[in-house]
Amino acid sequence: MVNTSLILHWHLDVSTLLLAAIFIAFFYSVTRFKRQRNNKLFAGVIILLLLLLSSPLHYLAMHAYFSAHMIIHVILLLICGPLLTLSLAGTDHPLLNRLSRFFNKNIWCAWITGVGIMWIWHIPALFDMAMANHGSFAPVFPLLQSGSLLLAGVVFSWPLLGPEEKLHTHALSGIVYLFTACVSCSLLGLLITFAPQGTYHYYHMGGSGYNPWNISHIEDSEAAGLIMWVPCCFVYLSGCLWLLYRWFISGSGVKLNNVR
Amino acid sequence: MSEETDLNVPEPTQSIPGLGVSNNQGLLQWISSVDHKQIGIMYLWLSLLFLVIGGIEIMLVRTQLAVPNNDFLGPEAYNQLFTMHGTTMIFFVLTPAIFGFATYFVPLMIGANDMAFPRLNALSFWMTFFGGFLLYFSFLAGGAPDAGWFNYAPLNQYNYSSSPGINYYCSGLLLSGIGTVTASVNFIVTILKYRVNDMGLKQMPLFVWMILINSFLVLAAFPSLNAALVMVLLDRQLHAHFFNAVGGGSAILWQHLFWLFGHPEVYILILPIFGIFSEIFPVFSRKPIFGYGFVVGSGIAIALLAFGVWVHHMFATGLGNTVNNFFAASSLLIGVPTGVKIFNWLATMWGGSIKFSVAMLFGIAFLVEFTIGGLSGVSFAIVPIDWQLTDTYYVVAHLHYVFIGGSLFGLLSGLFYWFPKMSGRVLDERSGRWFFWLFVVGFNTTFLVQHALGAMGMARRVYTYPDLPGWGILNFISTAGGFLMAIAVGLLIYILVRAVRSGSKAENDPWDANTLEWTTTSPPNLKNFEQVIPVKSTRPFRDYKRPDDADWNRKEEYGK
Ligand SMILES: [Cu+2]
Repeated sequence: MVNTSLILHWHLDVSTLLLAAIFIAFFYSVTRFKRQRNNKLFAGVIILLLLLLSSPLHYLAMHAYFSAHMIIHVILLLICGPLLTLSLAGTDHPLLNRLSRFFNKNIWCAWITGVGIMWIWHIPALFDMAMANHGSFAPVFPLLQSGSLLLAGVVFSWPLLGPEEKLHTHALSGIVYLFTACVSCSLLGLLITFAPQGTYHYYHMGGSGYNPWNISHIEDSEAAGLIMWVPCCFVYLSGCLWLLYRWFISGSGVKLNNVR
Repeated sequence: MSEETDLNVPEPTQSIPGLGVSNNQGLLQWISSVDHKQIGIMYLWLSLLFLVIGGIEIMLVRTQLAVPNNDFLGPEAYNQLFTMHGTTMIFFVLTPAIFGFATYFVPLMIGANDMAFPRLNALSFWMTFFGGFLLYFSFLAGGAPDAGWFNYAPLNQYNYSSSPGINYYCSGLLLSGIGTVTASVNFIVTILKYRVNDMGLKQMPLFVWMILINSFLVLAAFPSLNAALVMVLLDRQLHAHFFNAVGGGSAILWQHLFWLFGHPEVYILILPIFGIFSEIFPVFSRKPIFGYGFVVGSGIAIALLAFGVWVHHMFATGLGNTVNNFFAASSLLIGVPTGVKIFNWLATMWGGSIKFSVAMLFGIAFLVEFTIGGLSGVSFAIVPIDWQLTDTYYVVAHLHYVFIGGSLFGLLSGLFYWFPKMSGRVLDERSGRWFFWLFVVGFNTTFLVQHALGAMGMARRVYTYPDLPGWGILNFISTAGGFLMAIAVGLLIYILVRAVRSGSKAENDPWDANTLEWTTTSPPNLKNFEQVIPVKSTRPFRDYKRPDDADWNRKEEYGK
C-alpha cells in the first residue's frame, strides 16, 4: 500500500537541473550541436539523467536504502558516463583532442579517476557528510557526488570510447584495463558487503526513517555491496567482450573465422 | 637463446636424446637442463609419478569404503590419505602435466626456439618438484596434512591438527605456487614477445591462446592462496590470529581467500584443456575450428567470470540470503561460455571426416563426461540444492567428472596426440584403445553411482559408513570401478614404457596436422627451428602442405 504512493515520489531539485545545465553548456561549447547522431544520444543521456535523479529510486536512495543509492551510482558511472563520452564521437575540438592525447599517453590517469572517485565517495565519513547535506536548499554535496561520478564515468571510458578513434587504447590492453577496474570494484563491493553494521551511519540510523519494504539494515548494506560487486563486474565483462569482438572484426579482411 | 651463457652449465649441444638418460651426460643433462623441451618432459614424468602415488592413496581409501563399517584404515590414516590424494592430484598431477605440455609446446607452436627466460623456466619446474617432495616429507616428519585439500579453518589450526602435516601443506604448496607463478610470467612474455614474425595474435594456435589467458588467471589467483598459506603458517608457528576466532580472527576468512583462488584454479585446470581439444578436434575432423573468435572470447569470459563467483563454494556457511542470491545468479551464468565452447567443438566435428584415433576418442568422451560434470556443477548454483548436497558424495562425483572427465581426459588426449613429437616414437593405438575403454568404463563405474550416494545423504570425508539400504552395494561398485581405473593406469604406464623402449619410429607429421610444432623433426633438435614456414592463417602447416587449398586464399568462410 505504501508502494503505490512511492511510484508518485518524483522530485526534481535545483542541483539536478544545475548539473544538467552544466553538461549541456559544455556539450554545446565543444560540439555546437553539429552532429545529429551525437545530439540525439546526448539528449537521451540527459533525459535519462534527469529521470534517474528525480525518480522514486532516487527518493529511496536519499531516504531509505543504501542499495538504491548504489544502483544510482552504478548507472551514473557505468552507463551515463560512457554514453556521454560516446555522444562526443568524432567531435573535433582542441580541448577534446588534447584530452584524447593525454589519456592515450597516461591511461592510468583515466583508470585512477574512474576507480578512485568511486572509492572516495564510499569512505564512510565522506559518505555520511554528503547524505547529511541533502536536505538543504542548495545541496552542494549531492550535486558534487552525482557530478563527479558522471565525470568519472566519462573519463574512465575515454581511452576506450573517446572522440578520436585513432587514440583509443588497443582492444587487448582495453580488456586488461577493464578487468583491473572490475577487480578493484569487486574489492570495494566486498568491503561494503562485509562491513560491520553501522559503518555507513546515515542508513544505519534509518535514513529518514522511511522503510517501505521493511528491509533490515544489514540486508540493505549487503545488497549495496553486492550490487557493486556482482552486476558491476558483468558490465565490465560485457565491455571486455565487446572490445574483443571489435578487435576480431577489425583489421584488413580478418574474419571471425580468422582467415587473413 | 641458451647459447649466450656466462655460467658453465653442462648443456646438451647435439640433439635432444628423446626420453632416455642414455647419453654422455646421463641424468645430469636432465637435471641441469634449461631447454624447454626437457623441462616439459620432466614436468610430465613428475606428473605421472605423482599420479601413481595419489592413485595408490585413493585405492587405499576406496578399499576402506568397499564395505560398510570397515576397519581397514583408522580415521587418522583415512584423513591423511584423502587429503594427500586431493592435494596431490590437483597441485602435483594436473598442474604439472598442463605446465609440462605448455612448456614443451608453446615455443614450438609459435615458432620460437625456447622460452623467454630459460633459467626461470628451470626454476619453475624445480620449485614444483621440491614443493611436491616437501609435501610428502610430512609422512616422515610425523604425519601428513589431514584437513582436506582445501584445508579449512579452524581445522588447519594447531589446536585441531597438532601434527606438523599442515605446516608441510603450507610450505609445499607455497613453493610449488611460486613455481606456478614464475612459469606463468614466462609464458606471457614468451607468447607476447617471441612469436615468429608474421604470426599475429589472430593466427595464434588456440592452445597458445588458452595458455596466455590461463597465465593471467594464475597471476590473479595464486597470490590469494600464497598469502593465505603464509597466514596459516603464521597462525601455527607464531601464534597469529588470522583464522582463530578466539583471538579475533575469522575462520570464514580462510574460505574467502581459498576460494578466491580455488574457483579460478578450477578454470586454470580446464582452460588449457580447452586449448588442447581446440587443436585436436580440427586435426582429427579435417576441418578448421568452428568460430575461432568465439573460442578465444569464451575463454576470456570464463577467466573474467572466475573471480565473480567464488562465494558459491560457501553457500552453507551462513552468509545470508542476500549474498547467496547474488552469487547463485552469477554462478548460473558461468555455464554459458563453456556451453559455447562445447558447441564450437561439436560444430567443428559436424560434417568433418573424423578419424577415431585414441586422442580423438578421448575428445569425444570428454564432451560427454564434461557435460555431465558441468550440469551437476550448475545444479549447485541453486542454493537449496547446494544446502542439501554440499559435503556429500554428489560433490565428489561432480568434481571428479570435471577434473577427470575434463582435465585428465584432455591431458591423455594431448599425450596420445603429442607423444610421437616428444619422443620420436609411436604410441601403440591398439593397446591405447584398450586403455581408453578400460579407463572410461572404470571412471564411470566409480563416479556415476556416487551421485546417487550423495543424494542418499552419504557424507564425504568420513572414514566409514553404516550399513544403510543400498549404500554397501553402491560403494562396492564404486570401489570396483576404482580398481578398473588403476588397472587402466597400469596399462598406460606399460604402453608408455614400451613405446619409449622399443616403439616404432614416428614420422615428423604423423597426424597430417596443422600447426608449427609438426614442421620440425620428431623429436625436435636442441634448436627447434632453423626456418619457420609462413604463417597466414591458424593452420599454417596445412596451408604449406596444400597451397592450392590454403585457408588464407579461400573464398567462402567456414562456419557460416
Ligand atoms: Cu567454483
